[in-house]
Amino acid sequence: MTGWVLIVDDEEMIRENLKAYLEDEGLWVAAFEAVTPALNWLMDGGYCRVCIMDMRLPDMDGNTAIRILHRLYPEMKFLIHTGSSSYSLPDDLRAMGLDDACVYQKPLGDMAPLAAVARTLALRENRL
Amino acid sequence: MALIVAVSLLWSWMLRRRVARRTWEMQRELGERQQVEAALRESEVRFRDVTEAASDWIWEMDENLRFTYLSERFYALTGIAPQHVLGRARWELAIIESAADRQKWRQHRQMLEKRLPFRDFVYRTGIGNRHGVDRYLKVSGKPIHDDQGRFFGYRGTGTDITEQVKAEAALRESEVRLRRIIDLVPHMIFAKDRHGRFLLANQATAAAYGLTVQELVNHSQRMVHGIDEEAERMLADDREVIESGASKQIAEESFTDHTGHIRTLQTIKIPFSEPGLSETAVLGVSIDITEQKQAKEEVARMRLYLKNIIDSMPSVLIGVDPWGYITVLNQPAEQACGASWETAQGRFFGELFPQLESQFDQIRQAIRLGHPIKTPLMTLENQGELHYADVMVYPLIADSAGGAVIRMDDVTARVRIESMMVQTEKMLSVGGLAAGMAHEINNPLGAILQGSQNILRRIDPAMPQNCAAAAAIGIDLGRLNRYLEQRRILHFLEGIREAGARAAKIVADMLSFSRRSESRFAPVNVEDLLETVLRLAASDYDLKKKYDFKRITIQRDFDSHLCMVHCDKTEIEQVLLNLLKNAAQAMAECGASSPTILLRTRYEPQYVLIEVVDNGPGMDEKTLKRIFEPFFTTKEVGAGTGLGLSVSYFIVTEQHRGRLSVTSKPGQGACFSIRLPLGREALP
Repeated sequence: MTGWVLIVDDEEMIRENLKAYLEDEGLWVAAFEAVTPALNWLMDGGYCRVCIMDMRLPDMDGNTAIRILHRLYPEMKFLIHTGSSSYSLPDDLRAMGLDDACVYQKPLGDMAPLAAVARTLALRENRL
Repeated sequence: MALIVAVSLLWSWMLRRRVARRTWEMQRELGERQQVEAALRESEVRFRDVTEAASDWIWEMDENLRFTYLSERFYALTGIAPQHVLGRARWELAIIESAADRQKWRQHRQMLEKRLPFRDFVYRTGIGNRHGVDRYLKVSGKPIHDDQGRFFGYRGTGTDITEQVKAEAALRESEVRLRRIIDLVPHMIFAKDRHGRFLLANQATAAAYGLTVQELVNHSQRMVHGIDEEAERMLADDREVIESGASKQIAEESFTDHTGHIRTLQTIKIPFSEPGLSETAVLGVSIDITEQKQAKEEVARMRLYLKNIIDSMPSVLIGVDPWGYITVLNQPAEQACGASWETAQGRFFGELFPQLESQFDQIRQAIRLGHPIKTPLMTLENQGELHYADVMVYPLIADSAGGAVIRMDDVTARVRIESMMVQTEKMLSVGGLAAGMAHEINNPLGAILQGSQNILRRIDPAMPQNCAAAAAIGIDLGRLNRYLEQRRILHFLEGIREAGARAAKIVADMLSFSRRSESRFAPVNVEDLLETVLRLAASDYDLKKKYDFKRITIQRDFDSHLCMVHCDKTEIEQVLLNLLKNAAQAMAECGASSPTILLRTRYEPQYVLIEVVDNGPGMDEKTLKRIFEPFFTTKEVGAGTGLGLSVSYFIVTEQHRGRLSVTSKPGQGACFSIRLPLGREALP
């Protein structure tokens, strides 16, 4: 079940464009407009190794979503895609292994760098 | 009978003979007596002549001590008529007032009662006197005895000494008066002989030695003066005056008085001789000028103190009289006009400060109204540079010479800082606005940018997935592409992407106006930083393609003492890259023949100075004024966001607490100076 990427973003065109680009890169993408449907999908047996998470979401904020997902799926890696210029990583997220390189500022003029990282993470060997 | 006759005859003869003898005797006696009488007469005449010509008179008293005789001289000399005197005793004529008088008279009368001679008894009489003035008489007398030694009075001489007594009294009085005067004088008055012995000293002199006049006079200065060197110096002056015979003026000499206080004296010494003195002495007057000197020094000290105070003021201060002539300049004023106070004094202020000449009306008005008149933000031309000054004319209220003080403060720096603060405020509000909008704008921008990227990718015939999808619906992707090119659709798409990218850049630039944390501050090597920026510039697309960065000569003038500066490396890189870009662009636009950028670093007391100097077209005053304003640009539309320099300004001044300034003139290139604070504590 490698090669899956989960995208959570409430902006449809952002979501769709990222999905299109990643699919063109040969990845499987599950894209949701909020955290709850994404969790439902995972509960129903969906599986992915990497998640591209927006911060401002309708049902909860991205940081909380990452904390929940990390507890449920410790091997899941996160990339943050935010439109907020003042975003900075909370310390507990840093403790999970996230760093400033995981944060991508909207708008992305070129999706290639993000896609490359997502691809690497999605296709990595599962060491667990 | 015969006998009788004979006897008678004999008797008669004898008698005759006797008579004859007696007659002869008598004749002889008479002759002698006549002789004696003549002699006596002669002697009396001589005596009278003598007594009448003498300054003395002769008097006689009887055994009861009452005057019986006074020679004629008495009246002539005393003016007292003899009838007031004859028949009276001497003490009945005398004026006896004091106890001393009474004592004197008691003794005198005792002597008279003992019939003793006396000499030079002086008494005062006020009786029957022609002049109505008391007379002083001096008398001497001897007792007179007859052949049997019986006392029958006194005889003697008298003389009128009134004038002499008066002269003596006057002399005494004048001496006392003189004494009073010299004792009243607060200055030291003294006379000394050549051995330093005081012949005369007034109270002030004696007091200076802690002595009375009596204690000081007749003593040598060496004995009474505590400080030997002082005494010797003064005595040397004395000898000089005595020997040269010329006076000497000593403008200032120190004198230690008996309490140990050092006083400053001003002394005049003159040679001094008097009938009673065997050799020349020195007469001197010393004036104590200690307080005067102190006061003078105090005035000088105060003047210097006030001069220092006015010099310490940064304002230009010009004191003028009511007619505008300079009375005082402080140091900043001296610097401003290039003339010293001394040379400027008395010259018309407008001559030295032509830029202030228009203030003459204000001076007159301020003096007339008695209150200061301000002229804020006066614009002054100083060597081609525009300066702003606050000028205040302050009237001087004085008893005699009024006038005014012109105070001028160069507020150019303040005006500039104020305008920069306004600028900063503008930027901060832009930043605040941007932060609020960023999220809302970034999402649609993301859709535009990502959408156009996907479109371009998905019509690319090089991508197998595209070809497969096209083939499935029977479209030739190569031909579609030709169509898209022919109709310039690809070009439009590229335009959308670029426009989106530019909008994204503007938002990002605007966002950098918000204050950020300085977590990224770290010590950075200035030289490394500059080299990194040069490398970035060389690989920068715009610089490489549009402005031909390789053609630009880069000169380095690095201060070897300089190494680390505390800053946000990426931000300062951004600032420097921006400056390089602007320089390259400006030089490319004007077509400079040998475009050169000089990078200079300098160590300043509180800052690290980094300068970017180009030899491009430069800027005019108007452009310079607005250069750091957000959205101000000289570039053609689309070539820049108009935020580059204001972002740089913001990064340097707000985030690094440094300074960014520019100097330029049209045709003379531009020099941008970045000053970053050296100390960490200077950072926010």
